[in-house]
Amino acid sequence: MADLLLDSNIRIWVFLPIVVITFLVGIIRHYVTILLSSDKKSDLQQVADSHALMRSRILRENGKYIPKDSFLVRKSFFNHEEKGFFNVEKREAQVKNPMTDPSMMTDMMKGNVTNVLPMIVIGGWINWAFSGFLTTKVPFPLTLRFKPMLQRGVELQSLDASWVSSASWYFLNVFGLRSMYTLILGQDNAADQTRMMQEQMSGSAMMAPPDPMKAFKAEWEALEITNHDWLLDGVEEELTGGIIQPETIYIKNKFT
Amino acid sequence: MATHITFDEARTILKKMRDEQVRDGDMVVKLWEGFLIHHSHKLADELWMVYEQVCIAALDCRRLDLAEECIEALQYKFPDSMRVKRLEGLFYEADGRYNEADKLYTEIIEKDNTNMIARKRQVAILKAQGKMAEAIQKLNEYLKKFMTDYESWMELCDLYLCEFDYSNAAFCMEEVIMSNPHNHLFHQKYAEIRYTMGGAENMELARSYFAQAVKLNPNNTRALNGVLLAATNLATAYSKGAKEKQINARYASWAEEQLTVKYKTQATDEQRKETKVLESLRKLLELSQNVGGS
Amino acid sequence: MATTIAVRTRKSRRADTVAYSEMALRQNASILEYCRTSMACLGGATAGILGLTGLYGFAFYFITSFLFSVMVLIKAGSRWNNYFVSRKILFTNGFLGGLFTYVLSWTFLYGMVHVY
Repeated sequence: MADLLLDSNIRIWVFLPIVVITFLVGIIRHYVTILLSSDKKSDLQQVADSHALMRSRILRENGKYIPKDSFLVRKSFFNHEEKGFFNVEKREAQVKNPMTDPSMMTDMMKGNVTNVLPMIVIGGWINWAFSGFLTTKVPFPLTLRFKPMLQRGVELQSLDASWVSSASWYFLNVFGLRSMYTLILGQDNAADQTRMMQEQMSGSAMMAPPDPMKAFKAEWEALEITNHDWLLDGVEEELTGGIIQPETIYIKNKFT
Repeated sequence: MATHITFDEARTILKKMRDEQVRDGDMVVKLWEGFLIHHSHKLADELWMVYEQVCIAALDCRRLDLAEECIEALQYKFPDSMRVKRLEGLFYEADGRYNEADKLYTEIIEKDNTNMIARKRQVAILKAQGKMAEAIQKLNEYLKKFMTDYESWMELCDLYLCEFDYSNAAFCMEEVIMSNPHNHLFHQKYAEIRYTMGGAENMELARSYFAQAVKLNPNNTRALNGVLLAATNLATAYSKGAKEKQINARYASWAEEQLTVKYKTQATDEQRKETKVLESLRKLLELSQNVGGS
Repeated sequence: MATTIAVRTRKSRRADTVAYSEMALRQNASILEYCRTSMACLGGATAGILGLTGLYGFAFYFITSFLFSVMVLIKAGSRWNNYFVSRKILFTNGFLGGLFTYVLSWTFLYGMVHVY
């Protein structure tokens, strides 16, 4: 099949504008999000819970640096059958209904305004303004399966699959420019909408666990199976370069 | 202090100090008054951060007039800001008007329940007034909520030490160690607390933690001294069997050896003569060695 | 005999406890990521201007990304242990993400230069 020749005006008036528009919209979105973002007010109880979970995690990881007694005291503070923190504290799951909480409502609104809306509006506008152009050709062969993906808006049966239509070029840009934003705006930028969506999915578990009871239970289990293995045991011998008395180690290893 | 630095340099220095949280009030105030104050409009948005920094620095140097200027400027710009309120509270504290400061902090906490700084400042007020017991109680309440605030654990440890409550202080120090087990100073401090508590078990712990501190930082002379003292103590007073005595005597001799090398290489002859460190070290060692050998 | 083995395992366990600074690791990783993205971008631009097509283009990406890793490794020198936990992440980290950036800038410049 003979190669298609594209009018070079398409390059100036379709191909480039789409890239520039997508890019600028991303940057504008970044700043609008900063402008609209409200600092999240967190509940004291939630903060305290997350601190407790964190402390327990640190205890599990670094408990080996403190003497056994001290470790056990802390473990029982968290896990004691009757008085332990994780057994006593009762929290009801805070599944907030977004409709009842006005602040959640506005947050969601803002999220939608900055994320979904521009995508639809710009996408729609580009579809309308630049419809039906073939913009470029990907420099590698593709199978026919990619045709509906890359040639949205251009229904030509015999066209090679590696040609890209204007609407598809827009979407390619939306997803491909993500790492460019990282370069330009820094690591935690708001222009990167896909990451935002991921965060919404996972619910930023670090700061405020959605269901504290579940988190407590998990942490309780993890702490329950943590054993204390004092790391400082024999540190003097190691320091003085002596031989660690094998029999003492044996006994200690067996019974701790 | 260099006399000829440009505006930009002063600005960069301040920024660096902000980022690294260097607390050198004198320097900041000098930089501000010497170089930045007349060109403050050139700082643009950075100006407010600089104001905050200068304000705290001015309070550190007891330059209340300068601090007041900064706070006024900030209040004009951000009338409802919690951060400015906190500065105001600090100002009252520096001026000795503790009640007003306390009231202000309470106000902040009412508005924002999770404000850690205001709560900590309240403890600081109590401490400044010398009400140690109340400060301890308040800090304990605070730590029940914010369990992973290790600065506060450290502070609580110091408060307990003021009250000679060593076992509680040790508990706090354990928390701090867990937060960063690679800081030799934490281990050293913990060992010192255990050493002060006395008793065979505590002494052994002290020896271990001193040794850990030395292991983490071989240049920690204080910890080396700690190893020597704890091991000598164990060898002379607490050890049960002859074998244990021997082991402890060996630790002591090792520490003494290290210390001697350190003093011989680092200190000048006169210093050594004046302090007679080496002699006392040798005496200590002989003490432990005699017991160990017998 | 058994006792000596016990001693040895103990020692080796001790040697394993190396302290990592979480913050520094993350910082290094993010700088690495930054470099890799820039590299992918530049590589894509080069490939596009050169007019590489098909497998040659992909091969070019693999070569540049490999070269980049080797360059970082040389930069880190014999003390790479100080900066990274393992050498493997130097090669694998962000490899696929970089590929995406590469393809985009490749397509873009190829389109600009060779299609019209």
